[in-house]
Amino acid sequence: MNCELAHERIVLAAYSELPDDQTHELDRHLATCNECSREREQLLALKTLASAYPVLEPDPHFVTRSRIRLEEELDAIPPKRWYERFGQRMLNNFASLQAAPAAALLLLIVGAGAGTLGGYEYAQARAAHTASHAAAQAAARGDSSTTASAPAEVASISSIVRQPNSEIVDVTYDQLVPQHLQGSLDDPAIRQLLMLASENSSSPGVRDDSVGLLAAECRAGHACQGEGIRDALMVALRYDKSETVREKALQGLEPFVAEDMRVRDAVLEALLNDSDPRIRSAAITELEPVEADTSVRQVLFTVANSDHNPRIRTASREILSRAPVIQ
Amino acid sequence: MDGPDRAQDRAHARAPEMELIREAQAGSRAAFDALVRQYEQQVLRLALHLTGSEHDAEDIYQEAFLKAFRYIGNFRFECSFYTWIYRIVTNLCLDQLRRRKTRREDQAVVVDQSGDEIDVLASVSDNRSFSNPGKELDRKVLGERIQAALGKLTPRERMVFELKHYQGLRLRTIGEMLNTTEETAKNTLFRATKKLRIQLAGLR
Repeated sequence: MNCELAHERIVLAAYSELPDDQTHELDRHLATCNECSREREQLLALKTLASAYPVLEPDPHFVTRSRIRLEEELDAIPPKRWYERFGQRMLNNFASLQAAPAAALLLLIVGAGAGTLGGYEYAQARAAHTASHAAAQAAARGDSSTTASAPAEVASISSIVRQPNSEIVDVTYDQLVPQHLQGSLDDPAIRQLLMLASENSSSPGVRDDSVGLLAAECRAGHACQGEGIRDALMVALRYDKSETVREKALQGLEPFVAEDMRVRDAVLEALLNDSDPRIRSAAITELEPVEADTSVRQVLFTVANSDHNPRIRTASREILSRAPVIQ
Repeated sequence: MDGPDRAQDRAHARAPEMELIREAQAGSRAAFDALVRQYEQQVLRLALHLTGSEHDAEDIYQEAFLKAFRYIGNFRFECSFYTWIYRIVTNLCLDQLRRRKTRREDQAVVVDQSGDEIDVLASVSDNRSFSNPGKELDRKVLGERIQAALGKLTPRERMVFELKHYQGLRLRTIGEMLNTTEETAKNTLFRATKKLRIQLAGLR
Protein backbone atom coordinates (compact mmCIF):
# COMPACT_ATOMS: atom_id res chain seq x y z
CA MET A 1 0.00 0.00 0.00
CA ASN A 2 1.43 3.40 -0.92
CA CYS A 3 1.20 6.33 1.47
CA GLU A 4 -1.23 8.37 -0.65
CA LEU A 5 -3.73 5.56 -0.59
CA ALA A 6 -3.04 5.08 3.11
CA HIS A 7 -3.87 8.73 3.79
CA GLU A 8 -7.25 8.30 2.17
CA ARG A 9 -7.94 5.13 4.05
CA ILE A 10 -6.96 6.82 7.29
CA VAL A 11 -9.76 9.33 6.74
CA LEU A 12 -12.26 6.58 5.96
CA ALA A 13 -11.18 4.58 8.97
CA ALA A 14 -11.53 7.61 11.22
CA TYR A 15 -15.16 7.88 10.09
CA SER A 16 -15.89 4.15 10.27
CA GLU A 17 -16.25 3.89 6.53
CA LEU A 18 -13.44 1.44 5.89
CA PRO A 19 -14.35 -2.21 5.26
CA ASP A 20 -12.90 -4.60 7.82
CA ASP A 21 -10.33 -6.26 5.56
CA GLN A 22 -8.97 -2.89 4.47
CA THR A 23 -8.79 -1.76 8.09
CA HIS A 24 -6.53 -4.72 8.88
CA GLU A 25 -4.31 -3.86 5.90
CA LEU A 26 -4.10 -0.25 7.02
CA ASP A 27 -3.14 -1.17 10.57
CA ARG A 28 -0.27 -3.26 9.21
CA HIS A 29 0.93 -0.30 7.15
CA LEU A 30 0.70 2.13 10.04
CA ALA A 31 2.76 -0.19 12.24
CA THR A 32 5.72 0.30 9.90
CA CYS A 33 5.19 3.81 8.44
CA ASN A 34 5.93 6.74 10.78
CA GLU A 35 4.74 9.40 8.38
CA CYS A 36 1.37 7.77 8.02
CA SER A 37 1.12 7.30 11.79
CA ARG A 38 1.64 11.04 12.20
CA GLU A 39 -0.97 11.62 9.54
CA ARG A 40 -3.43 9.56 11.53
CA GLU A 41 -2.69 11.49 14.69
CA GLN A 42 -3.26 14.77 12.87
CA LEU A 43 -6.58 13.60 11.57
CA LEU A 44 -7.74 12.51 15.02
CA ALA A 45 -6.65 15.90 16.38
CA LEU A 46 -8.70 17.58 13.68
CA LYS A 47 -11.73 15.58 14.68
CA THR A 48 -11.26 16.65 18.28
CA LEU A 49 -10.83 20.27 17.31
CA ALA A 50 -13.90 20.21 15.14
CA SER A 51 -15.94 19.26 18.21
CA ALA A 52 -15.15 22.70 19.64
CA TYR A 53 -17.96 23.83 17.35
CA PRO A 54 -20.63 21.45 18.62
CA VAL A 55 -23.97 20.64 17.05
CA LEU A 56 -26.60 22.17 19.30
CA GLU A 57 -30.19 21.10 19.63
CA PRO A 58 -32.45 23.90 18.41
CA ASP A 59 -34.22 25.77 21.18
CA PRO A 60 -37.85 24.52 21.54
CA HIS A 61 -39.20 28.07 21.21
CA PHE A 62 -37.27 28.44 17.99
CA VAL A 63 -38.76 25.21 16.67
CA THR A 64 -42.29 26.29 17.60
CA ARG A 65 -41.81 29.73 16.09
CA SER A 66 -40.59 28.23 12.84
CA ARG A 67 -43.47 25.78 12.71
CA ILE A 68 -46.07 28.49 13.28
CA ARG A 69 -44.61 30.58 10.49
CA LEU A 70 -44.64 27.55 8.21
CA GLU A 71 -48.30 26.84 9.04
CA GLU A 72 -49.20 30.39 8.10
CA GLU A 73 -47.46 30.14 4.76
CA LEU A 74 -49.05 26.76 4.05
CA ASP A 75 -52.48 28.18 4.87
CA ALA A 76 -51.93 30.83 2.24
CA ILE A 77 -51.42 28.30 -0.55
CA PRO A 78 -54.61 27.60 -2.53
CA PRO A 79 -55.64 23.91 -2.58
CA LYS A 80 -54.84 21.89 -5.68
CA ARG A 81 -57.60 21.36 -8.21
CA TRP A 82 -58.95 17.85 -8.34
CA TYR A 83 -57.64 17.21 -11.80
CA GLU A 84 -54.16 18.38 -10.84
CA ARG A 85 -54.00 15.87 -7.99
CA PHE A 86 -55.62 13.20 -10.09
CA GLY A 87 -53.21 13.76 -12.97
CA GLN A 88 -50.29 13.72 -10.55
CA ARG A 89 -51.43 10.46 -9.02
CA MET A 90 -51.88 8.92 -12.46
CA LEU A 91 -48.39 9.98 -13.45
CA ASN A 92 -46.95 8.55 -10.22
CA ASN A 93 -48.73 5.25 -10.79
CA PHE A 94 -47.62 5.26 -14.39
CA ALA A 95 -44.01 5.65 -13.36
CA SER A 96 -44.15 2.58 -11.13
CA LEU A 97 -46.18 0.55 -13.58
CA GLN A 98 -43.66 -1.48 -15.51
CA ALA A 99 -45.38 -4.47 -17.09
CA ALA A 100 -48.96 -3.48 -17.87
CA PRO A 101 -48.94 -1.76 -21.24
CA ALA A 102 -52.70 -1.49 -21.66
CA ALA A 103 -53.26 0.01 -18.24
CA ALA A 104 -50.23 2.19 -18.73
CA LEU A 105 -51.64 3.51 -21.99
CA LEU A 106 -54.96 4.24 -20.30
CA LEU A 107 -53.19 6.11 -17.52
CA LEU A 108 -51.27 8.07 -20.11
CA ILE A 109 -54.50 9.09 -21.84
CA VAL A 110 -56.08 10.07 -18.53
CA GLY A 111 -52.99 11.99 -17.60
CA ALA A 112 -53.05 13.74 -20.96
CA GLY A 113 -56.71 14.53 -20.37
CA ALA A 114 -55.97 16.03 -16.99
CA GLY A 115 -53.16 17.98 -18.58
CA THR A 116 -55.42 19.25 -21.33
CA LEU A 117 -57.95 20.33 -18.75
CA GLY A 118 -55.22 22.20 -16.99
CA GLY A 119 -54.16 23.70 -20.29
CA TYR A 120 -57.72 24.71 -21.05
CA GLU A 121 -57.98 26.35 -17.66
CA TYR A 122 -54.79 28.22 -18.39
CA ALA A 123 -55.97 29.30 -21.84
CA GLN A 124 -59.23 30.52 -20.39
CA ALA A 125 -57.41 32.56 -17.80
CA ARG A 126 -55.30 34.05 -20.62
CA ALA A 127 -58.38 34.88 -22.69
CA ALA A 128 -59.91 36.60 -19.70
CA HIS A 129 -56.99 38.97 -19.59
CA THR A 130 -57.45 40.13 -23.17
CA ALA A 131 -61.16 40.96 -23.00
CA SER A 132 -62.11 44.31 -24.52
CA HIS A 133 -63.88 46.95 -22.40
CA ALA A 134 -67.24 47.40 -24.11
CA ALA A 135 -67.89 43.79 -24.97
CA ALA A 136 -66.84 42.69 -21.50
CA GLN A 137 -69.30 45.06 -19.90
CA ALA A 138 -72.01 44.07 -22.32
CA ALA A 139 -71.58 40.43 -21.41
CA ALA A 140 -71.16 41.00 -17.67
CA ARG A 141 -74.03 41.41 -15.29
CA GLY A 142 -74.62 44.65 -13.46
CA ASP A 143 -73.79 43.42 -9.96
CA SER A 144 -70.13 43.23 -9.03
CA SER A 145 -68.39 40.01 -8.05
CA THR A 146 -67.13 39.14 -4.58
CA THR A 147 -63.91 37.08 -4.26
CA ALA A 148 -61.48 37.47 -7.12
CA SER A 149 -58.18 35.65 -6.99
CA ALA A 150 -58.65 34.23 -10.52
CA PRO A 151 -59.18 36.43 -13.58
CA ALA A 152 -62.63 34.83 -14.13
CA GLU A 153 -64.57 36.26 -11.20
CA VAL A 154 -66.95 34.38 -9.00
CA ALA A 155 -70.35 36.02 -9.41
CA SER A 156 -72.27 34.16 -6.75
CA ILE A 157 -72.00 31.02 -4.67
CA SER A 158 -75.21 29.05 -4.69
CA SER A 159 -74.39 26.15 -2.40
CA ILE A 160 -71.79 24.67 -0.09
CA VAL A 161 -72.18 21.06 0.96
CA ARG A 162 -69.75 19.17 3.16
CA GLN A 163 -69.43 15.48 2.43
CA PRO A 164 -70.08 13.49 5.58
CA ASN A 165 -67.05 12.29 7.57
CA SER A 166 -64.56 13.92 5.33
CA GLU A 167 -62.77 17.14 4.64
CA ILE A 168 -64.23 17.27 1.14
CA VAL A 169 -66.59 20.12 0.36
CA ASP A 170 -68.72 20.66 -2.76
CA VAL A 171 -69.12 24.26 -3.78
CA THR A 172 -71.49 25.35 -6.54
CA TYR A 173 -70.87 28.78 -7.91
CA ASP A 174 -71.42 30.97 -10.94
CA GLN A 175 -68.48 32.36 -12.71
CA LEU A 176 -68.15 35.59 -14.56
CA VAL A 177 -65.86 35.09 -17.52
CA PRO A 178 -65.06 38.24 -19.52
CA GLN A 179 -65.34 37.50 -23.22
CA HIS A 180 -64.53 39.30 -26.41
CA LEU A 181 -66.43 39.21 -29.72
CA GLN A 182 -65.60 40.99 -32.93
CA GLY A 183 -67.95 41.09 -35.91
CA SER A 184 -69.90 43.22 -38.38
CA LEU A 185 -73.06 45.09 -37.45
CA ASP A 186 -74.98 42.69 -39.66
CA ASP A 187 -73.89 39.79 -37.52
CA PRO A 188 -76.88 38.64 -35.45
CA ALA A 189 -74.62 37.78 -32.51
CA ILE A 190 -73.24 41.31 -32.44
CA ARG A 191 -76.72 42.75 -32.72
CA GLN A 192 -77.86 40.57 -29.86
CA LEU A 193 -75.05 41.85 -27.68
CA LEU A 194 -75.80 45.43 -28.63
CA MET A 195 -79.41 44.98 -27.68
CA LEU A 196 -78.44 43.48 -24.37
CA ALA A 197 -76.05 46.32 -23.84
CA SER A 198 -78.77 48.87 -24.43
CA GLU A 199 -80.66 47.54 -21.44
CA ASN A 200 -78.16 45.79 -19.29
CA SER A 201 -74.96 47.71 -19.10
CA SER A 202 -74.35 49.76 -16.01
CA SER A 203 -72.28 52.29 -17.93
CA PRO A 204 -74.24 55.01 -19.79
CA GLY A 205 -71.34 55.29 -22.22
CA VAL A 206 -71.75 51.68 -23.25
CA ARG A 207 -75.52 52.01 -23.53
CA ASP A 208 -74.98 55.16 -25.57
CA ASP A 209 -72.65 53.37 -27.94
CA SER A 210 -74.91 50.39 -28.38
CA VAL A 211 -78.11 52.35 -28.85
CA GLY A 212 -76.32 54.70 -31.21
CA LEU A 213 -75.15 51.80 -33.32
CA LEU A 214 -78.56 50.17 -33.38
CA ALA A 215 -80.27 53.45 -34.22
CA ALA A 216 -77.82 54.10 -37.03
CA GLU A 217 -78.61 50.67 -38.44
CA CYS A 218 -82.31 51.44 -38.42
CA ARG A 219 -81.90 54.84 -40.01
CA ALA A 220 -79.67 53.36 -42.67
CA GLY A 221 -82.45 51.01 -43.53
CA HIS A 222 -80.68 47.78 -42.59
CA ALA A 223 -82.91 44.99 -41.40
CA CYS A 224 -84.31 46.32 -38.20
CA GLN A 225 -87.42 44.38 -37.35
CA GLY A 226 -87.02 40.66 -36.87
CA GLU A 227 -84.35 40.71 -34.20
CA GLY A 228 -86.27 43.04 -31.95
CA ILE A 229 -83.98 45.99 -32.44
CA ARG A 230 -86.94 48.28 -32.67
CA ASP A 231 -88.14 46.96 -29.34
CA ALA A 232 -84.77 47.59 -27.80
CA LEU A 233 -84.85 51.17 -29.02
CA MET A 234 -88.33 51.67 -27.68
CA VAL A 235 -87.33 50.32 -24.30
CA ALA A 236 -84.32 52.60 -24.28
CA LEU A 237 -86.48 55.58 -25.21
CA ARG A 238 -88.94 54.84 -22.43
CA TYR A 239 -86.68 53.74 -19.60
CA ASP A 240 -83.10 54.83 -20.06
CA LYS A 241 -81.91 57.33 -17.49
CA SER A 242 -79.51 59.06 -19.82
CA GLU A 243 -80.86 61.76 -22.16
CA THR A 244 -78.30 61.17 -24.85
CA VAL A 245 -79.25 57.52 -24.96
CA ARG A 246 -82.93 58.33 -25.22
CA GLU A 247 -82.23 60.88 -27.91
CA LYS A 248 -80.34 58.34 -30.00
CA ALA A 249 -83.11 55.81 -29.55
CA LEU A 250 -85.65 58.34 -30.75
CA GLN A 251 -83.57 59.08 -33.82
CA GLY A 252 -83.38 55.37 -34.56
CA LEU A 253 -87.16 55.02 -34.41
CA GLU A 254 -87.89 57.89 -36.75
CA PRO A 255 -88.19 55.82 -39.97
CA PHE A 256 -90.93 53.70 -38.41
CA VAL A 257 -93.22 56.32 -36.93
CA ALA A 258 -95.48 56.25 -39.95
CA GLU A 259 -95.74 52.51 -40.52
CA ASP A 260 -95.54 51.08 -36.99
CA MET A 261 -98.25 51.95 -34.48
CA ARG A 262 -96.22 50.75 -31.55
CA VAL A 263 -93.38 53.04 -32.49
CA ARG A 264 -95.81 55.92 -32.91
CA ASP A 265 -97.22 55.24 -29.45
CA ALA A 266 -93.76 55.12 -27.97
CA VAL A 267 -92.86 58.48 -29.49
CA LEU A 268 -96.16 59.97 -28.33
CA GLU A 269 -95.40 58.81 -24.85
CA ALA A 270 -91.98 60.39 -25.04
CA LEU A 271 -93.64 63.65 -26.11
CA LEU A 272 -95.96 63.55 -23.14
CA ASN A 273 -93.69 62.24 -20.40
CA ASP A 274 -90.04 62.75 -21.20
CA SER A 275 -88.31 65.08 -18.80
CA ASP A 276 -85.93 66.50 -21.37
CA PRO A 277 -87.43 69.27 -23.55
CA ARG A 278 -85.00 68.51 -26.35
CA ILE A 279 -86.41 65.03 -26.62
CA ARG A 280 -90.00 66.24 -26.49
CA SER A 281 -89.14 68.72 -29.18
CA ALA A 282 -87.54 66.06 -31.35
CA ALA A 283 -90.58 63.87 -30.82
CA ILE A 284 -92.86 66.59 -32.18
CA THR A 285 -90.70 66.88 -35.28
CA GLU A 286 -90.80 63.13 -35.82
CA LEU A 287 -94.59 63.08 -35.53
CA GLU A 288 -95.17 65.64 -38.26
CA PRO A 289 -95.65 63.06 -41.04
CA VAL A 290 -98.58 61.65 -39.10
CA GLU A 291 -100.00 64.89 -37.72
CA ALA A 292 -103.41 63.98 -39.14
CA ASP A 293 -103.70 60.96 -36.89
CA THR A 294 -106.37 61.52 -34.19
CA SER A 295 -104.35 60.10 -31.34
CA VAL A 296 -101.44 62.29 -32.36
CA ARG A 297 -103.66 65.33 -32.45
CA GLN A 298 -105.06 64.53 -29.04
CA VAL A 299 -101.60 64.37 -27.57
CA LEU A 300 -100.56 67.55 -29.33
CA PHE A 301 -103.61 69.27 -27.89
CA THR A 302 -102.66 68.22 -24.37
CA VAL A 303 -99.06 69.27 -24.90
CA ALA A 304 -100.10 72.63 -26.36
CA ASN A 305 -101.94 73.40 -23.16
CA SER A 306 -99.92 71.82 -20.40
CA ASP A 307 -96.28 71.50 -21.39
CA HIS A 308 -93.91 73.47 -19.17
CA ASN A 309 -91.78 74.54 -22.06
CA PRO A 310 -93.22 77.49 -24.06
CA ARG A 311 -91.45 76.60 -27.29
CA ILE A 312 -92.94 73.15 -27.21
CA ARG A 313 -96.41 74.57 -26.57
CA THR A 314 -95.95 76.87 -29.51
CA ALA A 315 -94.69 74.09 -31.80
CA SER A 316 -97.65 71.91 -30.90
CA ARG A 317 -100.15 74.68 -31.57
CA GLU A 318 -98.54 75.37 -34.86
CA ILE A 319 -98.94 71.80 -36.04
CA LEU A 320 -102.51 71.68 -34.82
CA SER A 321 -103.36 74.87 -36.72
CA ARG A 322 -101.92 73.51 -39.96
CA ALA A 323 -103.86 70.29 -40.33
CA PRO A 324 -107.64 70.23 -40.75
CA VAL A 325 -109.48 69.14 -37.63
CA ILE A 326 -111.36 66.32 -39.27
CA GLN A 327 -109.86 63.97 -41.82
CA MET B 1 -60.38 22.20 18.23
CA ASP B 2 -59.61 19.75 21.04
CA GLY B 3 -60.82 16.15 21.23
CA PRO B 4 -61.09 14.93 17.65
CA ASP B 5 -58.03 16.86 16.44
CA ARG B 6 -55.79 15.59 19.24
CA ALA B 7 -56.94 12.06 18.58
CA GLN B 8 -56.12 12.51 14.93
CA ASP B 9 -52.68 13.87 15.82
CA ARG B 10 -51.95 10.84 17.95
CA ALA B 11 -53.11 8.54 15.20
CA HIS B 12 -50.88 10.33 12.73
CA ALA B 13 -47.87 10.10 15.05
CA ARG B 14 -48.26 6.33 15.12
CA ALA B 15 -49.07 5.88 11.44
CA PRO B 16 -46.36 4.38 9.28
CA GLU B 17 -44.61 7.00 7.23
CA MET B 18 -45.78 5.60 3.92
CA GLU B 19 -49.41 6.07 4.88
CA LEU B 20 -48.78 9.63 5.91
CA ILE B 21 -47.05 10.36 2.64
CA ARG B 22 -49.91 8.90 0.62
CA GLU B 23 -52.41 10.92 2.60
CA ALA B 24 -50.36 14.05 2.15
CA GLN B 25 -50.16 13.38 -1.58
CA ALA B 26 -53.94 13.07 -1.63
CA GLY B 27 -54.14 16.55 -0.15
CA SER B 28 -54.32 15.99 3.59
CA ARG B 29 -52.74 18.96 5.39
CA ALA B 30 -52.92 17.11 8.69
CA ALA B 31 -50.81 14.28 7.29
CA PHE B 32 -48.27 16.73 5.92
CA ASP B 33 -48.11 18.52 9.26
CA ALA B 34 -47.37 15.18 10.93
CA LEU B 35 -44.50 14.63 8.51
CA VAL B 36 -43.14 18.08 9.29
CA ARG B 37 -43.18 17.32 13.00
CA GLN B 38 -41.21 14.14 12.42
CA TYR B 39 -38.40 15.92 10.55
CA GLU B 40 -38.35 19.50 11.75
CA GLN B 41 -35.90 18.99 14.60
CA GLN B 42 -33.30 17.37 12.37
CA VAL B 43 -33.74 19.92 9.63
CA LEU B 44 -33.30 22.84 12.00
CA ARG B 45 -30.35 21.21 13.71
CA LEU B 46 -28.55 20.76 10.42
CA ALA B 47 -29.41 24.20 9.06
CA LEU B 48 -28.45 25.88 12.32
CA HIS B 49 -25.06 24.25 12.55
CA LEU B 50 -24.31 24.77 8.89
CA THR B 51 -25.25 28.44 8.72
CA GLY B 52 -24.48 29.42 12.30
CA SER B 53 -27.49 31.73 12.21
CA GLU B 54 -31.02 31.20 13.58
CA HIS B 55 -32.40 33.55 10.95
CA ASP B 56 -30.81 31.71 8.04
CA ALA B 57 -31.71 28.35 9.51
CA GLU B 58 -35.35 29.35 9.79
CA ASP B 59 -35.38 30.53 6.17
CA ILE B 60 -34.00 27.20 5.03
CA TYR B 61 -36.57 25.37 7.17
CA GLN B 62 -39.42 27.38 5.61
CA GLU B 63 -38.24 26.95 2.05
CA ALA B 64 -37.54 23.27 2.52
CA PHE B 65 -40.95 22.37 3.87
CA LEU B 66 -42.79 24.62 1.46
CA LYS B 67 -40.96 22.90 -1.39
CA ALA B 68 -41.77 19.54 0.12
CA PHE B 69 -45.42 20.52 0.30
CA ARG B 70 -45.52 21.70 -3.30
CA TYR B 71 -43.70 18.71 -4.71
CA ILE B 72 -44.81 15.88 -2.47
CA GLY B 73 -46.89 14.70 -5.43
CA ASN B 74 -43.62 13.94 -7.21
CA PHE B 75 -42.33 11.62 -4.50
CA ARG B 76 -42.39 8.16 -6.01
CA PHE B 77 -41.11 6.06 -3.10
CA GLU B 78 -37.92 5.26 -5.04
CA CYS B 79 -35.83 6.45 -2.11
CA SER B 80 -36.73 6.97 1.52
CA PHE B 81 -38.63 10.09 2.45
CA TYR B 82 -35.77 10.94 4.79
CA THR B 83 -33.36 11.06 1.86
CA TRP B 84 -35.88 13.04 -0.19
CA ILE B 85 -36.34 15.68 2.47
CA TYR B 86 -32.64 15.90 3.16
CA ARG B 87 -31.98 16.29 -0.55
CA ILE B 88 -34.21 19.37 -0.56
CA VAL B 89 -32.60 20.73 2.59
CA THR B 90 -29.01 20.15 1.48
CA ASN B 91 -29.66 21.81 -1.85
CA LEU B 92 -31.07 24.85 -0.11
CA CYS B 93 -28.09 24.85 2.25
CA LEU B 94 -25.70 24.69 -0.70
CA ASP B 95 -27.48 27.66 -2.29
CA GLN B 96 -27.13 29.53 1.00
CA LEU B 97 -23.44 28.72 1.24
CA ARG B 98 -22.85 29.82 -2.34
CA ARG B 99 -24.60 33.10 -1.70
CA ARG B 100 -22.42 33.69 1.33
CA LYS B 101 -19.26 33.03 -0.63
CA THR B 102 -20.14 35.70 -3.15
CA ARG B 103 -21.24 38.15 -0.48
CA ARG B 104 -18.14 37.59 1.62
CA GLU B 105 -20.16 38.43 4.71
CA ASP B 106 -18.54 35.77 6.73
CA GLN B 107 -14.97 36.81 6.31
CA ALA B 108 -13.14 35.28 9.21
CA VAL B 109 -12.25 37.87 11.79
CA VAL B 110 -9.28 35.95 12.98
CA VAL B 111 -7.35 36.52 9.78
CA ASP B 112 -4.98 39.48 9.80
CA GLN B 113 -4.29 41.94 6.99
CA SER B 114 -1.87 39.80 5.08
CA GLY B 115 -4.26 36.85 5.19
CA ASP B 116 -2.17 34.91 7.68
CA GLU B 117 -4.01 33.06 10.32
CA ILE B 118 -3.62 34.42 13.77
CA ASP B 119 -2.66 31.75 16.18
CA VAL B 120 -5.16 32.96 18.72
CA LEU B 121 -4.59 30.21 21.16
CA ALA B 122 -0.90 30.96 21.36
CA SER B 123 -1.66 34.52 22.40
CA VAL B 124 -4.15 33.44 25.03
CA SER B 125 -2.06 30.80 26.70
CA ASP B 126 0.81 28.47 25.87
CA ASN B 127 0.56 25.22 27.73
CA ARG B 128 -2.31 26.12 29.98
CA SER B 129 -4.82 25.73 27.15
CA PHE B 130 -7.49 23.95 29.11
CA SER B 131 -7.12 25.48 32.54
CA ASN B 132 -9.81 27.55 34.26
CA PRO B 133 -11.03 30.29 34.13
CA GLY B 134 -9.77 30.87 30.61
CA LYS B 135 -11.27 27.60 29.53
CA GLU B 136 -14.61 28.96 28.39
CA LEU B 137 -12.98 31.78 26.47
CA ASP B 138 -10.58 29.34 24.88
CA ARG B 139 -13.39 27.11 23.75
CA LYS B 140 -15.36 30.00 22.39
CA VAL B 141 -12.43 31.36 20.47
CA LEU B 142 -11.59 27.88 19.28
CA GLY B 143 -15.16 27.41 18.11
CA GLU B 144 -14.88 30.59 16.10
CA ARG B 145 -11.60 29.42 14.63
CA ILE B 146 -13.23 26.20 13.52
CA GLN B 147 -16.14 28.07 11.99
CA ALA B 148 -13.74 30.30 10.12
CA ALA B 149 -11.84 27.31 8.80
CA LEU B 150 -15.07 25.65 7.74
CA GLY B 151 -16.01 28.84 5.94
CA LYS B 152 -12.93 28.50 3.78
CA LEU B 153 -14.16 25.22 2.28
CA THR B 154 -16.14 25.16 -0.93
CA PRO B 155 -19.90 24.78 -0.40
CA ARG B 156 -19.81 21.12 -1.40
CA GLU B 157 -16.81 20.35 0.82
CA ARG B 158 -18.49 22.13 3.70
CA MET B 159 -21.69 20.18 3.08
CA VAL B 160 -20.00 16.79 2.94
CA PHE B 161 -17.94 17.47 6.04
CA GLU B 162 -21.02 18.64 7.88
CA LEU B 163 -23.05 15.60 6.95
CA LYS B 164 -20.21 13.17 7.65
CA HIS B 165 -18.49 14.61 10.69
CA TYR B 166 -21.26 16.51 12.44
CA GLN B 167 -24.40 14.67 11.40
CA GLY B 168 -22.81 11.19 11.22
CA LEU B 169 -24.35 10.08 7.94
CA ARG B 170 -22.83 7.36 5.81
CA LEU B 171 -20.98 8.42 2.69
CA ARG B 172 -23.33 6.44 0.51
CA THR B 173 -26.34 8.34 1.91
CA ILE B 174 -24.47 11.62 1.51
CA GLY B 175 -23.89 10.75 -2.15
CA GLU B 176 -27.62 10.10 -2.65
CA MET B 177 -28.59 13.33 -0.98
CA LEU B 178 -26.20 15.39 -3.06
CA ASN B 179 -27.24 13.53 -6.20
CA THR B 180 -23.79 12.11 -6.76
CA THR B 181 -21.84 8.91 -6.19
CA GLU B 182 -20.33 7.58 -2.97
CA GLU B 183 -16.91 7.82 -4.63
CA THR B 184 -17.34 11.54 -5.32
CA ALA B 185 -18.51 12.09 -1.75
CA LYS B 186 -15.40 10.29 -0.49
CA ASN B 187 -13.05 12.43 -2.58
CA THR B 188 -14.83 15.56 -1.41
CA LEU B 189 -14.33 14.46 2.17
CA PHE B 190 -10.61 13.90 1.59
CA ARG B 191 -10.22 17.39 0.16
CA ALA B 192 -12.20 18.89 3.04
CA THR B 193 -10.11 17.24 5.76
CA LYS B 194 -6.88 18.17 4.00
CA LYS B 195 -7.90 21.81 3.74
CA LEU B 196 -9.08 21.94 7.34
CA ARG B 197 -5.82 20.49 8.56
CA ILE B 198 -3.91 23.22 6.75
CA GLN B 199 -6.26 25.89 8.11
CA LEU B 200 -5.98 24.70 11.67
CA ALA B 201 -2.29 23.92 11.65
CA GLY B 202 -0.56 25.00 14.82
CA LEU B 203 -3.63 24.65 16.92
CA ARG B 204 -3.53 21.89 19.47
